[in-house]
Amino acid sequence: FTTSLLLGTTMTISSNHWIMAWAGLEINTLAILPMISKSHHPRAIEAATKYFLTQATASALLLFSSMINAWQTGQWDITQLTNPTSCLILTSAIAMKLGLVPFHFWFPEVLQGAPLTTGLLLSTLMKFPPITLLYMTSPSLNPTVLTLMAILSTALGGWMGLNQTQIRKILAFSSISHLGWMTIIISYNPKLTLLNFYLYALMTTATFLTLNSTKASKLSTLMTTWTKAPALNAALLLTLLSLAGLPPLTGFLPKWLIIQELTKQDMA
Amino acid sequence: MAVAVVLLSGAPFHGGCCRHKVFLSLLGPLLSNSKLYSSYRRPGAEPKKKLSWQNADFSFKKSIDHLKTQLSLLTKETQDYLQGPGGHPLSQHVLEQTRVLWQFRSQEDLNKWVISSDVEIGGKSKVYIKLGRNNQAALLYGTLNTEVPRDGETKYSGYCSMRSRPAVGSFNRKKYYDWSNFNSLYLRVRGDGRPWMVNIYTDPYFSHQKDDLYSYFMFTRGGPYWEEIKIPFSKFFFSSRGRVQDNQHPVWLDKASFLTLGLTIGDKVDGPFQLEIDFIGLLNDRAHREEFAYETYDKN
Repeated sequence: FTTSLLLGTTMTISSNHWIMAWAGLEINTLAILPMISKSHHPRAIEAATKYFLTQATASALLLFSSMINAWQTGQWDITQLTNPTSCLILTSAIAMKLGLVPFHFWFPEVLQGAPLTTGLLLSTLMKFPPITLLYMTSPSLNPTVLTLMAILSTALGGWMGLNQTQIRKILAFSSISHLGWMTIIISYNPKLTLLNFYLYALMTTATFLTLNSTKASKLSTLMTTWTKAPALNAALLLTLLSLAGLPPLTGFLPKWLIIQELTKQDMA
Repeated sequence: MAVAVVLLSGAPFHGGCCRHKVFLSLLGPLLSNSKLYSSYRRPGAEPKKKLSWQNADFSFKKSIDHLKTQLSLLTKETQDYLQGPGGHPLSQHVLEQTRVLWQFRSQEDLNKWVISSDVEIGGKSKVYIKLGRNNQAALLYGTLNTEVPRDGETKYSGYCSMRSRPAVGSFNRKKYYDWSNFNSLYLRVRGDGRPWMVNIYTDPYFSHQKDDLYSYFMFTRGGPYWEEIKIPFSKFFFSSRGRVQDNQHPVWLDKASFLTLGLTIGDKVDGPFQLEIDFIGLLNDRAHREEFAYETYDKN
């Protein structure tokens, strides 16, 4: 399954044709489903079903968008998305794939039902192909729609994560919030989106692997991990602060650069 | 539309006319006097005289009062959300080791529970609930009758149960609780020596899993003394449609939405029963280290 995930990701990020990109996304979706439902617990099955339904809908919308563009313009090139209807449908498809507001409801539930290692893949590797597609099509997409979704994602990701007691759900809302930051800058400086994504993936990987080694899935368990692995706990503290974007840690860098760029664009 | 309704209510049904068949089956639920739409009814169930949409009360004043109630509930929920998880500060959530979920001191507490018996399938058991002496407990009592109803399809009978009503928030939305800090169910009861079954229904999202139930036994002593029963959640076994499943899973308590608790008696012994319940709560028993009592194995 891991090989299939890598194959799907590679197919999508290296493709120029919409059909190849769509095929890569489908391979990714199908490969991660058994990983989510590995334990066969009813909640894991529920998470896998929710994931499948949302991702299949998003893939269908993506294909529909590319078909409309191909019908109007006669070509299937990813970077040549010119039809406005296609752009709008693609925006909603990518938002659904990534978990941007208002298509974010599935993400915390799916992450909560999946094991921690699969949650790591869902938060990092599974986001890479849609981010790549967004990067390639960003000049054609409506900046207003993207900005609106980004602001709502950042705000809702922060507010809804406030009263959570399950760590996976907190990290899901953190992911939604970070995706908001990535999306807001994509129309003006796409490279900052990629920088934000790479740093977010690094920090999230560190967080998930730490939580996996301490087997902590809720806040009350996390409270007692310092007795078992104090050094790891301290590292987790720094990683979480970095994820929050606190200077002088690494996580502050993309936020600073994004705000600087937005200021230049008279938006902040 | 009006013409269609007149035609359908007045015209006889012709077996050879397929168009009428399809049209009638589509409009069946809407026609109050239609003899063409029928649903299977168990012997114990009364025939429905009114359709569900005909029971709706369209009173404007009542709807305004209802809206005011819901808005006040929403305000309270927002205030609780600002305080912390479950309306309590985070420190309380992390440090608490016991919590009382249901206690029976007034009629309002009794109204949070629903009693049922095999009357719904045509049986003859009786069950009642009332407040106990000095309003200090709930008394669940009745008579179990294992006589099978003569409807040609029921093979077993004889059960009585009480289930908690699912918790709803404002505008009838599901309320979510996080019980993952606790590992045991704590009941203070005084029974009559008969065995009961404690059931937990986790209300899954998809209807494929709507028959899933987690159950465990509760044996009562029957003496004059109250007993405090602790049932660890790791002991609850998983069943679906009454059949214990081969693939066993522990009950997840992180999303206790619509998590209803039920107490059922069905020990196949005819006769009276009674159970007094003081309170039902949760406990974090630090001495209990077991994660799951039943064997879990990986499928190939």
